[in-house]
Amino acid sequence: MDKLGRPSSDEAPRLEVLGKPLPRIDARERVTGEAVYPADLMRPGMVQAKIKRSPHAHAIIKRIDTTRADALPGVVATVTAADFPELPIGTMIPMGETGYDMWMVAQINMARRKVHWVGQPIAAVAAVDPHVAEAALALIDVEYELLPTVPHLGVAMAPDAPVLHEHVFTKGVEPRPRAPSNVCSRTVISRGDATGALKNATATASVSVAVDTAHQGYLEPQVVLAEVDANGFATVWASTQGQFTTELMVGRMLDLPLSKLKVVPLEIGGGFGGKIAIHGEAVAVRLAQKCRRPVKLVFTREEVLQGGSGPAAGALIDIAVGADTDGKLTAIEGTYRVDAGGLPGMSPSLMMQASAALYQCPHLNLVGYDIVTNKPRTEAYRGPGGIQVAFAMEQAMDALSQKLGVDPLEFRKRNASVTGSTMPIGTPFPAIGLTTILECIGEHACWRDPLPEGRFPRGRGLALGYWRGTSMTSAAHITISGDGRPMITMGAVDISGTRTTMAQVVAEEFGLPLGDVHIQTADSKSAGYSDPAAGSRVARTTTAALVEASADALQQLRVRAALRLQCSPADLVYSSGRFSSRLAAGTSITLAELMQATLTEGAIVGRGTSSNLPLGVEIGAHVCDVEVDTDTGQVTVLRYTAFQDVGLALNPMAVEGQIEGSVVQGLGWALTEGFDYDADGRLRNASLLDYRLPTALDVPTIDAVIIETPVPGVPYGVRGVGEVPIVPVAGAVANAIARATGTRVWQMPMTPERVLNALRGRG
Amino acid sequence: MQDFEYHRPKSAAAAVEALCSGEARVLAGGTDLIPQLREGRRLARHLVDLKRIPELTAIVALPGGAISIGAAATLTSIAQHPSIAAHYPSIAQSARLVGSLQVQNRASLGGNICNAAPSADAVPPLICHEARATIAGRSGQREMAVGELFRGPGRTLLEADELLTAIILPPPPTRSAARYLRFTPRREMDIAIAGAGVWLSLDTRGSVAAARIVLASVGPTPMRAHAAEAALLGEQPSKALLIEAGRIAAGESQPISDTRGSADYRRELVSVLTKRALSDCCVQLKAEGAIA
Amino acid sequence: MRMMITCTVNGEERTVLADTRDTLLGFLRERLGFTGTKEGCGNGNCGTCTVLMDGAAVNACLVLAQEASESEIVTIEGIADGDKLHPIQEALVAHGGTQCGFCTPGIVISAKALLDSNPDPSEAEIRHAVAGNLCRCTGYGKIVEAIAAAAAQRR
Repeated sequence: MDKLGRPSSDEAPRLEVLGKPLPRIDARERVTGEAVYPADLMRPGMVQAKIKRSPHAHAIIKRIDTTRADALPGVVATVTAADFPELPIGTMIPMGETGYDMWMVAQINMARRKVHWVGQPIAAVAAVDPHVAEAALALIDVEYELLPTVPHLGVAMAPDAPVLHEHVFTKGVEPRPRAPSNVCSRTVISRGDATGALKNATATASVSVAVDTAHQGYLEPQVVLAEVDANGFATVWASTQGQFTTELMVGRMLDLPLSKLKVVPLEIGGGFGGKIAIHGEAVAVRLAQKCRRPVKLVFTREEVLQGGSGPAAGALIDIAVGADTDGKLTAIEGTYRVDAGGLPGMSPSLMMQASAALYQCPHLNLVGYDIVTNKPRTEAYRGPGGIQVAFAMEQAMDALSQKLGVDPLEFRKRNASVTGSTMPIGTPFPAIGLTTILECIGEHACWRDPLPEGRFPRGRGLALGYWRGTSMTSAAHITISGDGRPMITMGAVDISGTRTTMAQVVAEEFGLPLGDVHIQTADSKSAGYSDPAAGSRVARTTTAALVEASADALQQLRVRAALRLQCSPADLVYSSGRFSSRLAAGTSITLAELMQATLTEGAIVGRGTSSNLPLGVEIGAHVCDVEVDTDTGQVTVLRYTAFQDVGLALNPMAVEGQIEGSVVQGLGWALTEGFDYDADGRLRNASLLDYRLPTALDVPTIDAVIIETPVPGVPYGVRGVGEVPIVPVAGAVANAIARATGTRVWQMPMTPERVLNALRGRG
Repeated sequence: MQDFEYHRPKSAAAAVEALCSGEARVLAGGTDLIPQLREGRRLARHLVDLKRIPELTAIVALPGGAISIGAAATLTSIAQHPSIAAHYPSIAQSARLVGSLQVQNRASLGGNICNAAPSADAVPPLICHEARATIAGRSGQREMAVGELFRGPGRTLLEADELLTAIILPPPPTRSAARYLRFTPRREMDIAIAGAGVWLSLDTRGSVAAARIVLASVGPTPMRAHAAEAALLGEQPSKALLIEAGRIAAGESQPISDTRGSADYRRELVSVLTKRALSDCCVQLKAEGAIA
Repeated sequence: MRMMITCTVNGEERTVLADTRDTLLGFLRERLGFTGTKEGCGNGNCGTCTVLMDGAAVNACLVLAQEASESEIVTIEGIADGDKLHPIQEALVAHGGTQCGFCTPGIVISAKALLDSNPDPSEAEIRHAVAGNLCRCTGYGKIVEAIAAAAAQRR
């Protein structure tokens, strides 16, 4: 296989820059505080915006009156839903495979007529300083008609439940229901006869779990700075995972032609899926249009948590699995009830597939429901739905292996999906390295070392994780500077070290040192359309785009070089910044000489675009040792090892960083992070004190083991990396707890109180 | 956030004067007060900063073996003070439990008391050691037991124009030990779901001569578990006795259910923490030869 | 209300007009332009705003600007010596201890406060020293490794 992923009889070329654990090229500005995030920008005449939010979870907005706020000295503009065009349901903008419903995006940014969660925006104000803006919020008069709250799935699914959306009738049910419902859709993935196979199974196991809504927990709250010039041209400096998606969303919400709008993505202080949709960008632009001054909108942490941004979906999941006398899986049955929050549209299809993908099983019946409740509309979070479903499925598989009396690793080996086996959607798996991973675990110290004795019971857990990821579209171009050095302009936002790895790709392609390559993520007016940094796709598709752009640029250079050297382009060999003639020894020209000589002949611009790249499915398996304080329920993670097939590690240090960070996010949700809503839909733990991200003291150093099984047809064989390492975490911890104590914990996060309740057989 | 005037007096007397400005609040570390002001949970038109008053930040040895801790002394200075670490380790350790290191570098012992959170980690060990509070007001000074200062969540017996100036730690008797344990889901940067401070004093035969048990986060104020204390008196501290004391303390606690934990869980934690803290004291006393 | 505040920031004395309600964080960022110090929560729960105040690491969001009057403040902008990074900064770069970078300035300050008082910290001591600084990207391992390496290099 050559570096383009094509089968090749020649030995693959040795990599010079790729595959090396190089420091991030943007690390220095991070450690010195010079990296610029949108909150760091100031503009002359800038004013501060604040958002008025609903204190009620479910209510009709009878009246909004901003008169008193407008009259407060220092207030320069106010807006409500009346300042935005009304977008009908189903107003789609393109993004990836599904697109985005702008009706939903508009509701997240400014409620119209009705509120569906506490914290939903209902008005905004811009004022000369934040103290005045804060005071003005209290002067906006709102009259509500309160409606009964649907605080959780249990209420939402009850037959007489208050209905959030009169226009929602359950999809996927025949005949079409006559009454509206909080159950927005029903999705089925099925083959064979799972119910029958479970009845006939030698051994079965089943689990029912409840997963709390949780938050992505990025440390930088949402921020935007918007400015409108004398010609009505709007510039938005944003903390976003996708400047083009933001541009489309803002343009649509304001009915603004895209010739009048530019989105500049600055450094992003974490996104993890939560900064794909806009949260205030269009509001800031509208305020800036009204007052003709730059407007900065900075969310507080309480706003981020209490309804200002989308958390990750909670769920109720039931899994039943069965196996025959040989310990081979015969059936998987699953029901997935997903808490979408206040607006419909969280299709459970991907997470259903993910949960069953790594097991070969003849009979499968998975049924999923997208359900609305009076909570913030949920959004993506690192492998959306993956950790929730693996918490259920991996516990069921572990329980089944216990019933069978088979070692859990051996059980996985017997049933693991392999290259060519059938995926839940019915198509065969492309090359995957699951078997290699499982063999690797069996030989690793984290599995072979005996568990040291402790003060309390200890256990070791194993769990698998799968994430499909996506490809979508990335564009990039390479211009060649006057001294022959390549300059990359890409549309991909850097959320994972992308600038470093992509500069490595181009350095490799050009045979140049990394320091000779310049790279930038460009604004929405300076790069070709690229989808957001999401779905473990950016490194893969941007690599493909840059391999193409490099070839394009080098071909243009080759033609010029041939003219200068008076030979045919085909007679030239390119290597390490120099074209040399095959025919005349000593006849050569460097890129620097070539560009100096041909500067007047026009720009060299190599272009590349990648769409429809083959998927680079992500597979991992985690081993975790825990100790459980059986008096308090506290779980201590003693040791954690994550095995992952990454295709090729473009930069092993960056890959390890993705895996380690992802695992610790997973440990957070597994053990301490969960939203706690009261019966009125108010979040009771809307602070980083009571919404507990792990600290350095709560986790061990994560050991990442990288396995490389290249993806055919993908340049350098790269797989997605960033999402799957969160998927197995809660399952691995739960299985370790079960092995330590003999008790399965069915609630996530597995807080000390819940663990103790489980140990005592309560709740 | 309401606007206010900031005062930086140079002496305790001047601070008391400034407190008489009306709607005034003491600003010590500010780690509780500043967020409370921002969120409108407390109001103030005058803030009186104590941190530049040497007499209020000093930690000094008093004649007779007692120690006086200035009310505005930071938790870090308390945790690092050699005499406190040597003679009142439970107080030094509890100072290291409040918030993060950044918070401990600002937060004061007086603030941890006067904020009157039922969860205040620094308070139970003070009550265990029978610490006394020195209070200055316009009409002069008074002194009272730290344990008697609290009226309810966020409320103390201090008048609006009174100032907590110092906390006096009496010298610990020989054959005594104290320990404070709290339970939080995270190792640090967290608020106690429940806490238990205990103090044990043994007689020459190794029986419990005196005991104090103070619980955090399980009532409107830090609270004594008198019945559990009584159960220990005159007894040899056996494992069964310590478990029984924990059980009794749990029964005495008056927890509520909130986002941090249910009342039932808190009671269970009181039982465990009390037993473990007592057990730690016994280990220490054994090491010192007070228990055979 | 408006008032003048004088303090020393990164070795330079500064006198600036501020709002009485400004926190030290807002004062440093908005009035003086030291935007390397970040705001992640505004309540002392995340540590992104950590600065040195008279040598001690503090959350700038929990300090009033007026309290800093006559104090010496060191922000992330005052850690490197011109182009020469502090060993902690060098090590964070070399070990992959920074990802999104939002927590990094606070981590650098907390690590500096640690190494200034304890040149040879154990892993547990390092973890304790940065426990008040949340990081959502790295999982902490590479940060801890970097601080240990910086300590070893300085010895």
